[in-house]
Amino acid sequence: MIADSPLVKAFWEHGRLDECPVIDMHGHMGPWPAIYFPRPEPEQMLVSMDQAGVRRLVFSSHEALFSAATGNDYTARVVRRWPDRFSGLMVINGNYMDIVERDMARFDAMRDAFIGLKFLAAYHNVALDDPRYDKVWAFAAERKLLVTCHTWGHGNMNGPAQVRAVAERFPEVRLSMAHSCYGMWEEAAQLARDFPHVYCDLTAVFECRGALELFCERGISRRMLFGTDLPWFSPLQGIGSVLSADITDDDRRNILHRNAESLLAPLLAAGR
Amino acid sequence: MEFWDCNSCFGLPSKPSQSPATCETVDDLTAQLDRAGIVRSISWHVAQHDVAPTIGNRMLAEAIRGKDQLLGCWTVLPPQTGEMPVDQLLADMKSHRIVALRAFPVAHRYLLNGATMGPLLDEMVARRIPLLYSTRRLPASYSGQQAWQDLYNLMAECPELTLIVVDHGSWGCDRYFRPLLDLYERVFVDTSMYYIDGGIEDVVARYGPGRIVYGSGLPERYPGGMMMAIGHAQIDDEAKAAIAGGTLRQLIEEVTL
Ligand SMILES: [Zn+2]
Repeated sequence: MIADSPLVKAFWEHGRLDECPVIDMHGHMGPWPAIYFPRPEPEQMLVSMDQAGVRRLVFSSHEALFSAATGNDYTARVVRRWPDRFSGLMVINGNYMDIVERDMARFDAMRDAFIGLKFLAAYHNVALDDPRYDKVWAFAAERKLLVTCHTWGHGNMNGPAQVRAVAERFPEVRLSMAHSCYGMWEEAAQLARDFPHVYCDLTAVFECRGALELFCERGISRRMLFGTDLPWFSPLQGIGSVLSADITDDDRRNILHRNAESLLAPLLAAGR
Repeated sequence: MEFWDCNSCFGLPSKPSQSPATCETVDDLTAQLDRAGIVRSISWHVAQHDVAPTIGNRMLAEAIRGKDQLLGCWTVLPPQTGEMPVDQLLADMKSHRIVALRAFPVAHRYLLNGATMGPLLDEMVARRIPLLYSTRRLPASYSGQQAWQDLYNLMAECPELTLIVVDHGSWGCDRYFRPLLDLYERVFVDTSMYYIDGGIEDVVARYGPGRIVYGSGLPERYPGGMMMAIGHAQIDDEAKAAIAGGTLRQLIEEVTL
């Protein structure tokens, strides 16, 4: 037993609960060069999702992150095969603005596959607030899209300062800070407090004991999103971390599904 | 299923980790272990790394005295300088319930090889004392790749050593550790940061359940994360029990001091 609430006991006993589903707001797919993944393919990821009671995964494929020309099509193909289980994020790589223009031009015709955009600023070496991205942010704001941004505590590509700069300019965007500005927890919590449209994505945050408690203490329980980087991290590890954090069952439900349900409802409706 | 933990520590690190939660005292740690339902934990004091092994080892021994839930893990130094004579170390381990050893060769500036540590390594093999090695607790200037190379060199020199590699991850390290599992029977890996999806099932399928041991990673990690991953892995109940505690318990019982 890892703690002693009714929800924790039930999860620990059964591994998954129909009455408390899990929605994973941050995943990828396919192989990646630096790590061996036992379960990188969509069929394998579905096995892991079923094992842990994950109803839906919002993802950007590794191919999309690192092969701008082809990867978003891969993502769309997978979503269209399993539309009840996967939702896509279209990757924006500012090093190839001609491809970004192409993808924006076809985005509206692909709303069934994509609910938003994904920035990987530090990896692409184009800052979140780089002027090249102005038109992309405006595009997302016009459509009230989810924009998931890789964020990390330090550096000048995707830290709290860059998030603040774009959050101030584009309040219509639903901005998810992937990894919650890892290591700069107070700054991440402050961003979520200052902007009602900014969310703390907990991918990799689960490895830092105390971060979930800190966020809940700062009053942002309704702004925290479950994420795993699947096929990187086991959803069970993420769930077990939520269960062993010193927070309430209400907080746990907010993290595991409620916040994501509210966020996704209009985005999924737009794709139907 | 009983959880025996190979990887916990306490004490305030000189440089805080990214995890906001700490365990300043041994009682803070045992409160967390109790909350998680962990039966036994092999623990160490961060002063063994940050201050000095001799000072930290003494602090650990005093802290765990009378606490049956905790077993100790001391930090070693080369015997040639007289700071830590092997005979004395082994005698003191016995009287203080120390069942495993840690080495931080990069931070403490020596080479973890036969030339330096031969007399101690021979005793560790004969007495089946596990060496716990963290691939994460390294200076920023030292690459993970080099740390793994160090372990490959060590095992080539000392193939019967009991080695438990801890804190590997969170970027999956299977390409580093699996060759060691193939080559040496007494190499094990802990779970504290082995988050990779499907990793437990995949390693069990190839190596059986006897090569992975539960590590809580306390105080930096949430102990329940990998408890869930083990408890609900797609492996049989015997395999779960071995990973949760059975294998580590056996390794501890094999130690002769
Ligand atoms: Zn990611």
